[in-house]
Amino acid sequence: MTTSVKPVASTWCPGCGDFGTLAAVKKAVAEVGIPPHEVVLVGGIGCSGGIHNFIETNGIHALHGRLLAQAVGVKLANPELTVIAAGGDGDGYAIGMGHFMHAFKKNASLLYIVMNNETYGLTKGQASPTSQVGFEGNVEAPFDAILTALSIPVPNFIARTFSGDPKTMTQVFVEAIRFNRANRGFAFVEDLSPCVTYNDTFKDWRARVVDVATLPGYNPSDRQTTFRLCVETMQAGKIPVGIMHRPPAVDPKEPGLELKLLPDKIGPARADIGVESNRAAYEKLLRAVA
Amino acid sequence: MTTPAAHTTAVPGTTGAPGTPSPPKELSDLAVMIGGQGGDGTLTVSDLLGRYFRKRGLYVYTSRNVLSRIRGGHADASIRASREPTAAVKADVNLIVAFDKEAAEIGRAELAPDGAILYDSSSFQLEGADTVGFPFATLVGGAVGQPIFKNTAAYGAISVMMGFDHAQTRAVIEERFAKRGGEALQKNLTALEIGRKAALETPGLADRWHVADGDAQHQILTIGNQAVALGFVVGGGRFFAGYPITPATEVMEYLMRYLPAFHGVVRQAEDELAAINMIIGASYAGARVMTSTSGPGLSLMTEGIGHAGTAEVPIVVADCQRVGPSTGEPTRHEQSDLAHLAHLGHGEYPRLILAPGTVEDCFEMTVQALNLAERWRLPVILLLDQALCQNTTTAEPYVLKGVEVDRGVRLSPEEVLKLETYAHYKFTPNGVSPYVPPGTPGVLAQVTGNEHNEMGHVSVNPVNRVKMMDKRMGKLLHVEPELPVPHMFGDPQAKIGIIGYGSTFGPIREAQGILEREGIPTRFYNARTLFPVPTKTLEPFLASVGAAYVVEHNYTGQFEDLVRGALPQHYQKLRSIRKFDGNSFRAPEIVRAIRGGSKA
Repeated sequence: MTTSVKPVASTWCPGCGDFGTLAAVKKAVAEVGIPPHEVVLVGGIGCSGGIHNFIETNGIHALHGRLLAQAVGVKLANPELTVIAAGGDGDGYAIGMGHFMHAFKKNASLLYIVMNNETYGLTKGQASPTSQVGFEGNVEAPFDAILTALSIPVPNFIARTFSGDPKTMTQVFVEAIRFNRANRGFAFVEDLSPCVTYNDTFKDWRARVVDVATLPGYNPSDRQTTFRLCVETMQAGKIPVGIMHRPPAVDPKEPGLELKLLPDKIGPARADIGVESNRAAYEKLLRAVA
Repeated sequence: MTTPAAHTTAVPGTTGAPGTPSPPKELSDLAVMIGGQGGDGTLTVSDLLGRYFRKRGLYVYTSRNVLSRIRGGHADASIRASREPTAAVKADVNLIVAFDKEAAEIGRAELAPDGAILYDSSSFQLEGADTVGFPFATLVGGAVGQPIFKNTAAYGAISVMMGFDHAQTRAVIEERFAKRGGEALQKNLTALEIGRKAALETPGLADRWHVADGDAQHQILTIGNQAVALGFVVGGGRFFAGYPITPATEVMEYLMRYLPAFHGVVRQAEDELAAINMIIGASYAGARVMTSTSGPGLSLMTEGIGHAGTAEVPIVVADCQRVGPSTGEPTRHEQSDLAHLAHLGHGEYPRLILAPGTVEDCFEMTVQALNLAERWRLPVILLLDQALCQNTTTAEPYVLKGVEVDRGVRLSPEEVLKLETYAHYKFTPNGVSPYVPPGTPGVLAQVTGNEHNEMGHVSVNPVNRVKMMDKRMGKLLHVEPELPVPHMFGDPQAKIGIIGYGSTFGPIREAQGILEREGIPTRFYNARTLFPVPTKTLEPFLASVGAAYVVEHNYTGQFEDLVRGALPQHYQKLRSIRKFDGNSFRAPEIVRAIRGGSKA
């Protein structure tokens, strides 16, 4: 047996919501039955982005805001890897917003978990893109990732979970990872994961979360209705959670990006790049330049 | 030109045609500049002439002067044809073909003493004994109903003035328009004959020049950006991400055509931040990767390149330099990114900067860049410039000879299982840790831009920090024997040295020829590795010469600065020849500077 890198103890504050997320990711990967060496966890910058150090998988720690770009690169280089990108709301919705929007459009089959705590915890509690008006002097309206995600007409998997409900969160992750592994495209899960030090919202959120599946008319393949249900829930002072969008079946026209580009799933990382094995094709390519 | 002021001609509207017939002047090195408004078809004329000259076995070099806009505005192209290989714009133009007044105004400064300006007199008139106008648009509009074929008519007139072979002149049109179908071809052939007739019926115009034949028929026509794309494919590159930016975009466009057949992926990213990070992700996963960009994109990629340097993820970044800073002059030529690249990013990490000087070099050195990046697990910059990237040139056909793929220490699943411990950042004598791609059974790795220990865990331990810095930075010393060596040209005994890189290669070689004929021997050090500064070869070179002219397209002498810093004992020998007006060097500019003993 070769010894290689082992997880280290987490650096999170006791009681941090991210512990729930970490536990759910571990359980979900085990439940789907993926060997650790086939998983790549791409971490962002911030408290939550350290998650790749605390789990027995491969890990790459990306630059602030760039985890989705790196995750897409990993997935397209080797489509057989299970790729999970995980970071915070500042990472995903502020500095990384461009990549966030494009991830839905690209539709590569990877899971992106945003641990949303409505603050920049690691830099000691500044307002983040999701902060409520009044938090640390914030006067800007909070950004809502679910409404944004629902407005992009690509058959992605979209959900919101709450760290206070790890059981549901695990189930959602399992579904999302299975969605990815069937090459059906991008899965986005926003996990409400309170920062117990700078923005302890556990109690408040527990009282306000409403599973959209319990609402009349709910249909996970009907994004228009879900959008309306979310808006109505928010207007009532509640927080919609649950599976927001899940296409009913494989859409042959819109499979995951990796399948569109690499139907045989070999991909750049596993291609035979030896000169001899490609000689005939290379010579043809070079001869075509006249 | 001895042209009567009032000239009668059978061609209506013709003005100021040249007069007395004289024996044709033999041209073995000529330049034609074609200019007009965007949409006038100036590039088509350049293309047609290039095809004809190549049929005659001549070497061809074409540069374009276009504005950063899609349509309209003045644009021109200049085509050089010669019996000797050339990779430089010719200093004097024999013939200007003007579809707008601006072409004549811009071109006249470079017109050879016996040169002529051929122009379309349908919409404007030019003064001067050296001008000859035909209303190409009007004539063609009447005959085929579409004035746009005026460019082919102009090609017809040129063919008469330069004494082209008629059958081959027509064959060029047939080849060029064959794909467009019968009607387009017929209209172009009609336009060609209209242009020829106009010129033939003008006394004294035919056979002004005779173009000498060459023996370079076997050469291909290509650009540096294509060479880089082809080098990437045969060098095993399989993942490319980029963002459109002039003058780098063709690399991505070629790869979009080439790579899918080889299990490869090309992605046009949402910005350069995504492009650099996508290739980092793909390289981490085990692919050979590259991106191409230019100044503004390079600035955005800077953080990512530093990340690759410290996380030890191999990447190749092709920088097709243009006029900077900021948006600068997107379509114009400069070499002003080197200082930025040599010190790229915050913090310290090793990087290599390679500079191809020819299209052959672009092909070969892209393969080298990929090998060096993976062997040493660091970022490699392929430093290009607009002229090298985009000017069309004849070249020897691309061949696989010498192309090798060397991935460095990359462990197979079997080799990994024999290890007691796998550490992604293992300390080794040369600083390179064995690599295992993710997905290999039995082992895991952590990769990070945080300072880390051998296992890839975050560490701020001071002892570890020093060891890790030594590991990474030490690569710059160990890699030295593998770096591309300079190409040396000229007289080894010469006391006048010339140092240049990138597309200055062509003008410098031409200048050496001119100086040699004047009895001034020179020695040219064509630098192909710029960073780390190649002191092992530069030192003896500088020791051997009395003065060394550093030829660069920038204001501050960026390579000269690096050389001075690395070899201060020779600082008094360094002279500067710099140009930063957006145009590439013309050989006589270098000749004049060396004759005059230029000093910064």
